Amino acid sequence: MGERPDAVLNIIDGTNLERNLYLTTQLTELGIPMIIAINMMDVVRKNGDKINIKELSRRLGCKIVEISALKDDGVMTAAEEAIKAAQNGKTVPMHTFSGAVEHAIAHIEEAVLHDMPEDEQRWNAIKIFERDEKVISKLNIKPEVMKHIEGDIKAAETELDDDAESIITNERYIYIEEIIKGCYKKRNVGKLSTSDKIDRVVTNRWLGLPIFAVIMFLVYYIAMVGIGSMATDWANDGVFGDGWHLFGIGSKSYKEKAEEFGDASQIVNGYIEYAIENGVDTDDVVASLDTESEDFNPGNGKAALAQFANDVKDLKEATYTVVDEETMDSEEVTSNYNELIMAIETYSNYDCEEPDPAYYGVWVPGVPVLAESGLDKIGCADWLSGLILDGIVAGVGAVLGFVPQMLVLFLILALLEACGYMSRIAFVLDRLFRKFGLSGKSFIPMLIGTGCGVPGIMASRTIENDRDRKITIMTTTFIPCGAKIPFISMIAGAIFGGSAWVATSAYFVGMASIIISGIMLKKTKMFAGEPAPFVMELPAYHMPTLINVMRSMWERGWSFIKKAGTIILLSTILVWFTTYFGFVDGKFTMLSDDQLDMSILAAIGGVIAPIFRPLGWGNWQAAVASITGLVAKENIVGTMGILYGGSETVYANMAQYFTHITGYSFMVFNLLCAPCFAAMGAIKREMNNAKWTWFAIGYQCLFAYVIALIVKQIGGLFTNNINIFGVIVAGSLIAGILYMLFKPYKEANTLKIIEKARV
Amino acid sequence: MMTLSLANVGEKNIIKKVGGNPEVKKHLENLGFVVGGNVQIVSTRGGNVIVNVKEARVAISEEIARKIMI
Repeated sequence: MGERPDAVLNIIDGTNLERNLYLTTQLTELGIPMIIAINMMDVVRKNGDKINIKELSRRLGCKIVEISALKDDGVMTAAEEAIKAAQNGKTVPMHTFSGAVEHAIAHIEEAVLHDMPEDEQRWNAIKIFERDEKVISKLNIKPEVMKHIEGDIKAAETELDDDAESIITNERYIYIEEIIKGCYKKRNVGKLSTSDKIDRVVTNRWLGLPIFAVIMFLVYYIAMVGIGSMATDWANDGVFGDGWHLFGIGSKSYKEKAEEFGDASQIVNGYIEYAIENGVDTDDVVASLDTESEDFNPGNGKAALAQFANDVKDLKEATYTVVDEETMDSEEVTSNYNELIMAIETYSNYDCEEPDPAYYGVWVPGVPVLAESGLDKIGCADWLSGLILDGIVAGVGAVLGFVPQMLVLFLILALLEACGYMSRIAFVLDRLFRKFGLSGKSFIPMLIGTGCGVPGIMASRTIENDRDRKITIMTTTFIPCGAKIPFISMIAGAIFGGSAWVATSAYFVGMASIIISGIMLKKTKMFAGEPAPFVMELPAYHMPTLINVMRSMWERGWSFIKKAGTIILLSTILVWFTTYFGFVDGKFTMLSDDQLDMSILAAIGGVIAPIFRPLGWGNWQAAVASITGLVAKENIVGTMGILYGGSETVYANMAQYFTHITGYSFMVFNLLCAPCFAAMGAIKREMNNAKWTWFAIGYQCLFAYVIALIVKQIGGLFTNNINIFGVIVAGSLIAGILYMLFKPYKEANTLKIIEKARV
Repeated sequence: MMTLSLANVGEKNIIKKVGGNPEVKKHLENLGFVVGGNVQIVSTRGGNVIVNVKEARVAISEEIARKIMI
């Protein structure tokens, strides 16, 4: 209350007159000229309720205007009236409390407030009567004066048999009841409003949860699978990939052609591979089919293929390996000679060149393609174009690729929030989540987190209770997000022979980690205290307005985009630099893809690798893969692909380095440890505090380490690979976790309350 | 007198007493839970209730509902 405005424009909700006027009584006590604008008048009329504005205005002694902010009705009039009120400076008459209270207030004004401007005295006096500590300390009231005043307050309390604060509240309500008695008529007295009727169903004991499940399924389906995945594919493979067909024109015909050629290409290349193994000279055909080479021409290619078909006509069948680009999985495929002949025909039809999507429909090239051609044109140095393409565009693009999906999600969430359902979710789920030390609202971030942790963390903003929100932010990324799926499949494929339980178990590990962490954290000193009782105002259900929903969506989306431009940009540049530069033969130079073991990052990986030795995968490749995973989790696959490449397939090499136990330990660690930079940025933003951000990231890494250690050491017991010391450490860690899980909650010392008044 | 947590859905009740520590009490009173006021249960769920008080809908947990006497 440092500054005093010239006038107050008090906008109140007409559908909830009594409570709003109650707050108005507090405002009038400030002694500032005031105009009341009654909002939502259209809804009041629709309900058939009547407010006699003239009479109400007379009784309150204050000018009242009707507005409807939704329809932009009367808003200007209200503003003009407020300016008038400010100029004329007349204040609103204040209501009086009962005798005993007024007596005490008069005493207080006389004792401590007499040299204050008269307009400001009353508000302060009432606050002192309520024993408001802030006002008392601000006004510097001496203890002996306070003791004197205390006598008057006590007298009023004894006379009215209640504590000072309650007396004031009660009398305000009584005053308001008196005032609106004659000027407010409700049509449906005692009947349920539409909103109540909806609540009857939606928060019903039996239907509440099923309705919630259906709505959440729809949210998830639309945002992650339906529109969302389409949008993400477009952003990742289109805008930040090769390019896309405008409005999908030409996509279909291109796709058919590309598939046809792809199948043929697989057979031809497979046959060539098989032919090499069988001692057939293929140098000529390989060279002629190299479309990257400068002297490539379709005629030569066709001729070489015909020659090749002739060379291998004795090989009735060819067996070769096909590698899946996404997960590096490989499988054995067998083709016969007839298929080869047909494939060669297809090749000829396409002039031995892969069909170019740009020839089909309306093609818009992606940012990397444009950047590359632009850089080539101006003759940019290799290292600079590497930095821009592999570092900045690839790194930031990977992050921005999630923006469309996030916008879709934010839009749906904004809708749920604006119509009033969001606050009901907390009510429906609160009992259940309270058992894990979380709030009912923690569910939404986790659900969203299965798609992408960034919007998940951001969704935690709807949790008002500070401790609940922090725990939710810290644990949300334990759930496997979309980007973690490729590396989980990679581990499953390479080490567990493609077993489906690995991916399924990842979800259970994630959920169990959230529950365990929730319970443990609630019992630490930082989060100790209340299983907070909740008190929450529920807004009435209403149709959201397009503008509000769009604005809310955009605000959340934009803050993320800004992040991608700053912290994420810097980190991707750093990781790119350390990956592609290093010392080769004592010379510091830029590296190509097959020299990455010379990079600075590899050196760093070598230094930190021993840290991971207790987890069973203390080699620099795995350590480096974990680091690059910080840029984006799907990078783990790419990095492993490069680092474990070599004479055999990536999967075969990985299977040599990892056992089932160490592979699982590696997966668990990368699943639970600090998320990608984008998500860390979101954590920082939502925590809004450096200390808490580091605590969250530290906790995640520590928790991941502990769980991975337990997996490795206890797993060792069953595979006769026992390290006594490790088992003891793992055993005591388990004991520690169990102790935290079962020790009783600390008693709540203060009751903190959640409040929400969002309309 | 009984606690609000025991009231039936749809029933109109008059608040007789608001308990709890000063902080909670003050908060409840600001939300409209004042002695003499009407309160109506809209929905219950495992002890948590949604009530209609002073024309506003407020969700409160069981612990809080036990502090309001009707």
